[in-house]
Amino acid sequence: MEFSEHIKTANVEDVELRQPLQPPSRGTLCITGHHLLFSDREADTSRHLLLLLRNIDAIEKSVENLLGYPGFLSKAGHSERMTGSSGTITIKCKDLRVLQFDIPGMEQCLNIAHSIETLSCLDNVSEMYPFFYRPTELRLQYHWGLLAPEQHYNQTKELHKRWRLSSVNQDYSVCSSYPPAVIVPKSISDETLKKAAKFRQGGRFPVLCYYHRKNGMVIMRSSQPLVGANRKRCKEDELLLQAVIDGSDKGYIIDTRSSQQVQQARMTGGGFESKSCYSGWKRLHKQMERGKALQESLIKLVEACGDESQNMDRWLSKLENSKWLSHVQTALSTAGLLAECVERDGHSALVHGYEGTDCSLLISTLAQLIMDPSCRTLEGFLSLLEREWIQAGHPFQQRCAHSAYSHTRLQQESPVFLLLLDCVWQLWRQFPLALGFSEALLLRLATEVYASDYGTFLCNSDQERCALGVKDATHCLFQALLKPTEREVYLNPLYELNQLAIWPSVHPQSLQLWRGFFLRWTQQARHLEEVQQEIRNMVNEWVRVTQSDATTIQ
Amino acid sequence: MEFAELIKTPRVDGVVLHRPFMPTVEGTLCLTGHHLILSSRQDNTEELWLLHSNIDSIEKRFVGSLGSIIVKCKDLRVIQLDIPGMEECLNIASSVEALSTLDSVSLMYPFFYRPMFEVIEDGWNLFLPQDTFKDLESMTDEWRLSEVNKDFSLCPTYPPLVAVPKHIDDDVLKKVATFRHGGRFPVLSYYHKKNGMVMMRAGQPLTGTNGRRCKEDEKLINATLRPGKRGYIIDTRTINVAQQAKARGGGIESEGNYPQWRRIHKGIERYNVLQESLIKLVEACNDQSHSMDRWLSKLEASNWQTHVKEILTTACLAAQCIDREGASVLVHGTEGTDSTLQVTSLAQIILDPTCRTIKGFQGLVEREWLQAGHPFQQRCAQSAYSNSKPRQEAPVFLLFLDCVWQILRQFPCSFEFNEAFLVLLFEHTYASQFGTFLGNSAAEKTRLCLREKTVSLWSWVNRPQELERLTNPLYEANSLVIWPSVAPQSLLLWEGVFLRWNRSSKCLDEAYDEMVHIIEYNKELQTKVNSLRRQLAQLETEDPLLRTP
Repeated sequence: MEFSEHIKTANVEDVELRQPLQPPSRGTLCITGHHLLFSDREADTSRHLLLLLRNIDAIEKSVENLLGYPGFLSKAGHSERMTGSSGTITIKCKDLRVLQFDIPGMEQCLNIAHSIETLSCLDNVSEMYPFFYRPTELRLQYHWGLLAPEQHYNQTKELHKRWRLSSVNQDYSVCSSYPPAVIVPKSISDETLKKAAKFRQGGRFPVLCYYHRKNGMVIMRSSQPLVGANRKRCKEDELLLQAVIDGSDKGYIIDTRSSQQVQQARMTGGGFESKSCYSGWKRLHKQMERGKALQESLIKLVEACGDESQNMDRWLSKLENSKWLSHVQTALSTAGLLAECVERDGHSALVHGYEGTDCSLLISTLAQLIMDPSCRTLEGFLSLLEREWIQAGHPFQQRCAHSAYSHTRLQQESPVFLLLLDCVWQLWRQFPLALGFSEALLLRLATEVYASDYGTFLCNSDQERCALGVKDATHCLFQALLKPTEREVYLNPLYELNQLAIWPSVHPQSLQLWRGFFLRWTQQARHLEEVQQEIRNMVNEWVRVTQSDATTIQ
Repeated sequence: MEFAELIKTPRVDGVVLHRPFMPTVEGTLCLTGHHLILSSRQDNTEELWLLHSNIDSIEKRFVGSLGSIIVKCKDLRVIQLDIPGMEECLNIASSVEALSTLDSVSLMYPFFYRPMFEVIEDGWNLFLPQDTFKDLESMTDEWRLSEVNKDFSLCPTYPPLVAVPKHIDDDVLKKVATFRHGGRFPVLSYYHKKNGMVMMRAGQPLTGTNGRRCKEDEKLINATLRPGKRGYIIDTRTINVAQQAKARGGGIESEGNYPQWRRIHKGIERYNVLQESLIKLVEACNDQSHSMDRWLSKLEASNWQTHVKEILTTACLAAQCIDREGASVLVHGTEGTDSTLQVTSLAQIILDPTCRTIKGFQGLVEREWLQAGHPFQQRCAQSAYSNSKPRQEAPVFLLFLDCVWQILRQFPCSFEFNEAFLVLLFEHTYASQFGTFLGNSAAEKTRLCLREKTVSLWSWVNRPQELERLTNPLYEANSLVIWPSVAPQSLLLWEGVFLRWNRSSKCLDEAYDEMVHIIEYNKELQTKVNSLRRQLAQLETEDPLLRTP
């Protein structure tokens, strides 16, 4: 298919753009296969807006014919009449920005709107922009990704005594959402893993995701066991979990569902690890919201943030009704519980909910940030995201197809990753020195996950990525963020290595709305950005000055 | 009266002190006339020195012979003292109760406090009206300083010197004073240099039900208008409240008698409503349940954030009339000692960069609150924990500080002072060793001889070591008007005051120190580079060989 088929009007002159925090400007609007481009007329201020069409969540159009001749489209001599008419397109982006274009000429306006509508929701992955993005400074031969599972295992020497790297999933036949190599107890054979996989939803058998160097305890994650109504059991699964706590008196299972929910799950073939079959394990239930409920929460929150009624009570009750902060609180406190099991109580833990691709990842990621200082540097954090989200099979494409403004019927959209970023921001706010990266990184990730030049967040699993050649034909976001020119922006100038665990306060009073993201396009956020810029400048200046100092003295 | 009469047990050993987010301390508890002191007598442990006047309420609990006293302070801190021995505990409790509720001003600590520091600049002489007026004179000759209230007879809550329009003589002022609530005739509060517009403040006009009128009052405020220009009267009451005030002798400036003025009504809450709001807010902040919904509904129900928003909105309105509309403004509510001052002082922070410096802000507090007759002693007698019936308590000044904090947060580089300065002022309005916030008016301050018998807070603040702690490292003088966002989404709960004792501030303090450190180091290096560059340039001129590569 050719993109040009969808573009009837590629160029419109004399368009007025209105966007938050900037004065309106007049210029030319262009539509290409992947971008919307607006360039300002004035030579001295020449401002450009380059927007990925993929970033557009919803588009609204209103046309008015100023001359009052309805129904005159496509008739002879229409161009003369059309000059008096105009239309406005309102574009609502997945990064929550809202833009307005006043376009002269009704037909042009309708054409532009139609192109945007079609091109912004193409769902063929290999036609997406990352496959066309070819910046001069990057070459495709670069290794895609930061750390493959094999490298991760090889680097973690402490693991080698009791754990091994299994390639049982080499061809993705055991679990389609797992990477080809996973870390499992040394004493467990690939045959056992294959059988255990059959007993877990989507084949997601328990694998190691974190080794706590301080006491040798681990975090495992998986999906729910397929116990079903007739209480099926699986010796191999029990064996696998027993091997995890070998030599210790017990382990904890953190189930991200309530005990009622897990009972109900049995009716649909799922279930939980019963006390009798898994005697060494103690189950803890923490109900976390998922899927649609989370997406609706986001929609309500964004709606509340855009409310212009100037009424404090209304704002606070809308904020409360959205429940977003409650979700943040639950996520952080569940992660805190997990970290407590491992760090304070000194036991290993297994995390799962239903599929093991959403809440489980959220919790295991946050727990690692709480406990492990090596995850808190810029590189460490990006590697953590790669391990726990990209490789571990979070279905990004399904979850991030639409954001808070979309009018289309929700399918599998859910802002789980955004919730993670919010929780990380809460940590960052409570421990301003402990994290090596800045809020700018979280904001960048929140934008990239919905629309990106890079291939990192494409597809739903490693298998899909390989099948579509994502790793060969697109660039990797994480590598781009670590380039010397980019990384400067994403480092926290106040960072100091802190070897201790950072325990976040989860009192409701301690948690705040992430204004930097949710109110990013409002007046007040701009001043805060200025300060951050100020601090960055100062630190950069400092580095420059110390260097020039050194050379002068030499 | 001797304090000793109230102290039955002056000291107890083996007392254990519990404070939020700090290790417990065991030591000796001593009561003096003004302080509760706990000392561990070990060098490295911090001692507790608590002013009795800071104590808002106390509770006693007994388990066997071990008694505990829970002390709730006006700065919102809650501490617990475990005291061995029932009798000692009861004695201590009753002494603290008596000593913390002494009514007599002259027995208060500021009259006994002798400074342990060298006074570089006496704060009492820093912001004299005659000096402030000199600044005004350099900008305009349309105003004069009147001594009509020299002996406080015309208006007991005004200072002896006030700025009024040049062509209005003292006899007119005397007549106007009888027409305004509490004698508070319109006086100058702020002169906007940019366009010569002014902000005045007053008490409500005493029109009563039969629409009394006062020609002199009309003449006075019309004298501030440019020919053909209209002015704005910002009434801090809703139109209903203002109409009802007529029945009690008060009222509004009617359009008929004041044709050159446009009245705008805004509803800023007063007294008990504000005090109750504070009590509810503090209760919500201390709620230990882990429910997010509960917290957010309690926060909403307290209405505190609504009050912050209303006050800020009204101040922005006043500033807008002056700066954007180019019109003069008169602000009043009922008495003109509370919401009026919130509006006039915040408008100045928005409009005038000087008010955003440390000294300038002190001057603003001095002019618009202390000399303008805000009854600090009545308003700050009790805080959020008190069990006694509230009388005239209201957190009017705290709300003002909260609003300043909101602006500071939105414009982090435009203020010379930091949050710590605002928190410090909050603390000292409720309990202090300094005389600055004693008394309810300039007249009372004179009668109490505060200037002679007590130390000014500004004498202590304006020393290098204190200033360093209160200075905003990000400050860059900004000569522009700053317009804060008043959208509810933009206003935050002031954690530095309301959640101060509910969280460990260790990490945040460390981050702040680190930032200060980086900025200082940055400055140091810049000086060093400059001197090296100079040296290099000098070497180059001296040694031509260096120039060839």
